[in-house]
Amino acid sequence: LNSKIKRQRKWDIGKLIYMDNLSPEECIKRWRGEAEEDEDYISNIENDDEEEEELFKKKDVASPDNHLGDLEKFVPFFDTFEKLVQKWSSLKNIQDHFINAPKLNSDDA
Amino acid sequence: MSSARPLITFQGSQNFRIRIVLATLSGKSIKIEKIRSNDLNPGLRDHEISFLRLIESVTNGSHIEISYTGTTVIYKPGIIVGGSHTHNCPPSRAVGYFIEPMLYLAPFSKKKFSIIFRGITASHNDAGVEAIKWGLLPVLEKFGVRECALHTLKRGSPPLGGGEVHLIVDSLIAQPLTMHELERPPIKSIRGVAYSTRVSPSLVNRMIDGSRNVLKDINCEVNITADVWRGENSGKSPGWGITLVGETKKGWCFFSELIGDAGDIPENIGMQVAYHFIEEISKSAAVGRNQLPLAIVYMVIGKEDIGRLRITKEQIDENFIHLLRDVKKIFGIEVFLKPVDDLDNNEDFIVTIKGVGFHNSNKKIA
Repeated sequence: LNSKIKRQRKWDIGKLIYMDNLSPEECIKRWRGEAEEDEDYISNIENDDEEEEELFKKKDVASPDNHLGDLEKFVPFFDTFEKLVQKWSSLKNIQDHFINAPKLNSDDA
Repeated sequence: MSSARPLITFQGSQNFRIRIVLATLSGKSIKIEKIRSNDLNPGLRDHEISFLRLIESVTNGSHIEISYTGTTVIYKPGIIVGGSHTHNCPPSRAVGYFIEPMLYLAPFSKKKFSIIFRGITASHNDAGVEAIKWGLLPVLEKFGVRECALHTLKRGSPPLGGGEVHLIVDSLIAQPLTMHELERPPIKSIRGVAYSTRVSPSLVNRMIDGSRNVLKDINCEVNITADVWRGENSGKSPGWGITLVGETKKGWCFFSELIGDAGDIPENIGMQVAYHFIEEISKSAAVGRNQLPLAIVYMVIGKEDIGRLRITKEQIDENFIHLLRDVKKIFGIEVFLKPVDDLDNNEDFIVTIKGVGFHNSNKKIA
């Protein structure tokens, strides 16, 4: 399994982007190490990647042969409300993106 | 512009606006074929035709040929002239669909852009008025386009619309500045606007409450304004929505927006937009996913100098690849991605782009 991971890590996204024989979906899949034959491998890796996987599935459903997915949506893809609530039940991970205000009202928070 | 040059050919209907915009900027003729050729309703949609009309009106000498079935378009760009126009947007897309590509062209025009867009001002798919004003214009500012404004004269919620916004771009620049952003700028405050048209103002306050409930734990200043529209200026349909913007000291902005449908609970929409906001920030380095194309294109058409922008792993998705491939096809330049080797965060990349040395053809070289 380890060797597999290593082999898949080798994909250089900078090169993949300009490999015109690959569709962008395939590029992303290869780069993230989510090639189709590795179903069991996918389930082993962390949650984060599973979410990504789902993202693709949804998109694939939405665009069977890239004519429905051409809405040129401005709004990016988000997980469902429930999942986001779960993911961000604690806001600790995001704290370092903010300049925290001095804790004046910490007791009523 | 010369017809002897072979056409650059694209296939499919994705990235339609960006392709037209890139062609206009580069002055190269393009051909887009197989537009929804397998669809039951093949060819261009009315909003795409409307967009081509808009392009025609802000340029001089553009030549657009659409095949009989509408599945092939040949576009020979003219020069960008700008000027004052009014554009009536079809009800299928919001005004954001049309304003967004204008932001790529407006600063390189001969005359100042002053366009009134009429139609729907908010939708689930397109940029809302606040998203453009506070999300996209700050990106332009980073590239030296400072005098840019979007005024909301009337709001128009879907499905009937009736809104009116005025886009004014006063700064005409010869070429965009070279931009370097190697950090993840921290957010100093969260701003927002919750608006409503033709519904009870209480909805607005309930949305704000919902958002504040989620954001209060971040321990950052949150300031959401209520913006209730009544009477003549509130369009033809009832509607409500909220936009959140995270401001950084450096001038970058992160944002997310949502609109409510019939049957939605305002508190939930407020909470959802807050969660989207947090999610977007977690996935962004210096720009959000919906600001990325604008930033990339401005870097591409920059001076012949190397610009750098930090992005996250999550931002490299299909859209990003589509964009980079289109850029390569038209401008012939490749983007270089360099992994960041910070101690705390090594998942990010630095996008390095050498500008093509684009020059506004309407400006004299100093």
